[in-house]
Amino acid sequence: MSENLTTRLWLMRGAFVALSLVVIFWQLLPMETVPRRFTGPDMMLVMCVLWVLRRPDYAPPLAIAGVMLLADFVFLRPPGLLALTTYLVCENLRARATSVRDMPFSVEWLTAAGGMTAIVLGNRLLEALFLLDHASLGLTLIQLIMSVLSYPLVAILLFVFVGLRKINPSDPELLQGRV
Amino acid sequence: MARERNQEDFVTPLKRLLYVLTIAILLLTFLLWRIDSPRVERFRAMVIDRFVPSMDWAMAPVTGSINLIREFQSYQRVVDQNKELRRELQQMKAWKEAALQLEQENARLLDLNNVRLDPQLTFVTGVVLADAGSPFRQSVLLNIGARDGIIDGWAAMDGIGLVGRISGVGQTTSRVMLLSDSSSRIPATIQPSGESALIVGDNSVAPVIDFLENPDQVRPGDRIVSSGDGGVFPSGLLIGHVASDPGGRLRVRLSADYERLEFLRVLRDHGKESIEGTGALIAPENLAPPEPAVVAEEREDE
Repeated sequence: MSENLTTRLWLMRGAFVALSLVVIFWQLLPMETVPRRFTGPDMMLVMCVLWVLRRPDYAPPLAIAGVMLLADFVFLRPPGLLALTTYLVCENLRARATSVRDMPFSVEWLTAAGGMTAIVLGNRLLEALFLLDHASLGLTLIQLIMSVLSYPLVAILLFVFVGLRKINPSDPELLQGRV
Repeated sequence: MARERNQEDFVTPLKRLLYVLTIAILLLTFLLWRIDSPRVERFRAMVIDRFVPSMDWAMAPVTGSINLIREFQSYQRVVDQNKELRRELQQMKAWKEAALQLEQENARLLDLNNVRLDPQLTFVTGVVLADAGSPFRQSVLLNIGARDGIIDGWAAMDGIGLVGRISGVGQTTSRVMLLSDSSSRIPATIQPSGESALIVGDNSVAPVIDFLENPDQVRPGDRIVSSGDGGVFPSGLLIGHVASDPGGRLRVRLSADYERLEFLRVLRDHGKESIEGTGALIAPENLAPPEPAVVAEEREDE
């Protein structure tokens, strides 16, 4: 039983990293070379927040930091900046995950929205503080809103295809006191 | 129970240490980038060089199939397109005649003037591997790099017009910053009037024409070519045509087809030769007078 749980733990951690790599890969595909007025959600952000809120044990802090740093490097962002804000906010959310777990989905959604807003705002604030040129506010806001809107959808998709769900009192992990 | 508590005490400080350490590393990376940007950018080029080509085997088929689906959708309008193409072909035939005549005339005139086109303007063609991956950046990644002799600052074109310039070279990949990127600035000349201006990208399809000395002389429809001012960029490359937006600002309608960047030519540019020295006095050979030289030497001795 314990063997099984450990395997599952590492499998899900692997799934987190693999899915993040898939998202990076998808965004890199050379299909959008024309400047856009409209943009979809920032999937990396949604994924990080979702995994941390739903199953904190499946999204180890090092994996979040590593994946976001890689994304920073590959997507030509200031390296480490978005990774830093994401990491800080995700660790904050991780601490709150236990209390959010027993609440209805709307509370979880609101918490996630707050987290994502904090990440984007913090990022923008730091950019202003270090005198970096930042992207247009409109596009950033659209991306944030799309990210918040896509949260439930991503939650459903991950639940169906990866089996990621909130932990139940009946789950063996909780019974063994691992979480 | 006691063992468990022991374990807990061992794990918690370690986690906290890891937390602080991660934050410190991320912050340090960022600060290092802010302080010594070129070195970190080189590291970034190295990371991308390692990371992106390793996904190339998957990228090519996925991109291909998506494009296939997009093109399949366009089959629905194939009849209309056909008609339109026929009409355009008619117009093109007329243009072709005109172009042929002009070409001959041009060749005659060039011959008359004894003009030599720049023989060093050769190019390397690369395939677009990936785009910037974020809506805030406009750049593409090519599959040619330092191995193929690519150097920072060279111009990249598609078949028709200028697309951007190389910024960031890895061993096997290089990044082309497109003209539409918000950090792109290209010196240009506007053709019939000869006004010089700067083409400033602002993350839109049509970059702004800035630092124009005399906007009255520029009309929508004028050709814009790169001017080569500053020596970092070859001159005479077609960028696009002048257009004015509803706000009255002059913008560039780019000639290159940004919808479909697939193959890009990177122009080799070896820079201009610079003139050193101020030039010497030219005298006939048999007239070299020895006496003044001796006098000058004596004067120097004194």
